[in-house]
Amino acid sequence: MSPEEIREKANSVFQEVFKDANLQIQDAMSAKDVEKWDSLNHLVMISSIEEAFGIKIKLKELIAMKNVGDLLKTIATKVS
Amino acid sequence: MVSALEQSLVTYRDKNAFYIREQYYSYGALQERAQAISSYLNLHNTSRLPVGVIGYDAFETYAAIIGIMLSGAAYVPIHPANPMDRNTSIIEQSELCFVFAPNTSYSFDHLIDISKTKVITVADLSSASFERNHIISPNDIAYILFTSGSTGVPKGVPITHHNLESFIDSFFALGYELNSNDRFLQMFDITFDLSVMSYLVPLLKGACAYTVPFDSVKYMFIYELLENHKLTFTLMVPSILSYLRPYFSEIELPELKYSLFCGEALYADITQEWKRCIPNAKVQNVYGPTEATIFCMTYDCSNVLKENNGMVCIGNPVKNCDILIVDEESKPTNAKGELCLGGPQVTQGYLKNEEKNASSFFMYNEARYYRTGDLAYADKDGEILYAGRKDYQVKVMGGFRVELSEIEHHVRVYTSISGVAAVAVPNAMGISQIFLFVEQLNKEVSEVIDYLKTQMPEYMIPAAIHSLVAFPLNSNGKTDRKELEKMIQHAAK
Repeated sequence: MSPEEIREKANSVFQEVFKDANLQIQDAMSAKDVEKWDSLNHLVMISSIEEAFGIKIKLKELIAMKNVGDLLKTIATKVS
Repeated sequence: MVSALEQSLVTYRDKNAFYIREQYYSYGALQERAQAISSYLNLHNTSRLPVGVIGYDAFETYAAIIGIMLSGAAYVPIHPANPMDRNTSIIEQSELCFVFAPNTSYSFDHLIDISKTKVITVADLSSASFERNHIISPNDIAYILFTSGSTGVPKGVPITHHNLESFIDSFFALGYELNSNDRFLQMFDITFDLSVMSYLVPLLKGACAYTVPFDSVKYMFIYELLENHKLTFTLMVPSILSYLRPYFSEIELPELKYSLFCGEALYADITQEWKRCIPNAKVQNVYGPTEATIFCMTYDCSNVLKENNGMVCIGNPVKNCDILIVDEESKPTNAKGELCLGGPQVTQGYLKNEEKNASSFFMYNEARYYRTGDLAYADKDGEILYAGRKDYQVKVMGGFRVELSEIEHHVRVYTSISGVAAVAVPNAMGISQIFLFVEQLNKEVSEVIDYLKTQMPEYMIPAAIHSLVAFPLNSNGKTDRKELEKMIQHAAK
């Protein structure tokens, strides 16, 4: 999967979870930048990402991620 | 207690008092900032009226709390996510003239009407020398917290220094082995009284409190602190465990010494699983409403857990608390009844709310008791089991009395899922119907209904079952039952 494909697929997961069809993910984006990004939606987002890419993300990997860019990198290492 | 706090600020001058947003702050820095705030208030708040603090997760917020206490005034936290109307009600009820805003880079004009209340920031403080010019008496108020009132107007709960000192005395009588090398979690917004234990106990011991911002993904942030900073003492709401549960197999925290839970029902199954993640910790379920100062009952979860409908026992009262279980006529009963609390931790009454005070407090054998609205009963050993909120006990069609926690328990047993919540919502005719929410339901709805029919009478069977990925949480981190009720109400429209 190319980085562009990963980004596009992740973007549609974000749009669905945060119920915002205009949401465009950016590498530097984090919970502080998205109004509805709370504990509940974080959990929903992670499980939706795992399902969409057929991967499992460990807790230690999750806490190491500081923003969307880190998440995309983690997905890339797991799908390749 | 304030003297002990002042002593700590001096004794532990070079040690860290707080870790906030990746930065440490020493006791020395805390003393300096708190004294500057106190000096300002000594000069400008000569009648020692209560002072507001906007609850951003910042060093200045905690310095303001300590500074206000040193000045002899009460602090009143204001939540940054509250609408202005609620804040205005809090400001008016507690007669605040000053509100401390921790940092000028935050905006606060959407939170409070600044034409009526003076907002103080760090820029207003001078380096004038500090002198404590007021001896704090036990009846002086330490803080006023506001809880939601059934009429929509927030109710103020004033807690005196005597109440708070009684709690601290009860807390240390529990025998925790703590010292200045301990690392405490402070996960609560300062509008929630569990925050008081979480910052005050470490400060009295010279230990460090690690805070969690209100706008963070809390369960992730908490785990990160536990893992990276090897915290030794945590007080959490049980909902955090539900969020972390999928990762329990990855969690190992041998440094944790004490893991306390409070604020909502703790479930026995998840507690046993959590104990495997924290092999060296003592786990305790603690209980108490804001009105009785932080917590007033404790249960040690070391052995086999006593439970009622899956909810862990709340144990015995702490040193400075008396309990009474009463029936509907306010007479003591040996059966299940309303749990009432007495003793020096209990507030003198709600702020300017005679009507509520008359209904919430009563005298028995010359002692004053507070009605918690919680149902409980004592087992054969005299230990207290929690049996749900009085208002979770709903009357459904035909006037049958139903305990929502009992329905939840049967579903938990059948599905092995801890995230189960039953709510009662009146339909268009005003008749309550029961709806059930389950986190990630792993069975067909019809299977669950069929099972419940083997366990309970027909009137207890939920009208519908909804599966959610996870439950919504309120700002205190507890399962937001009101939000679940709203989902039903919205769906009905």
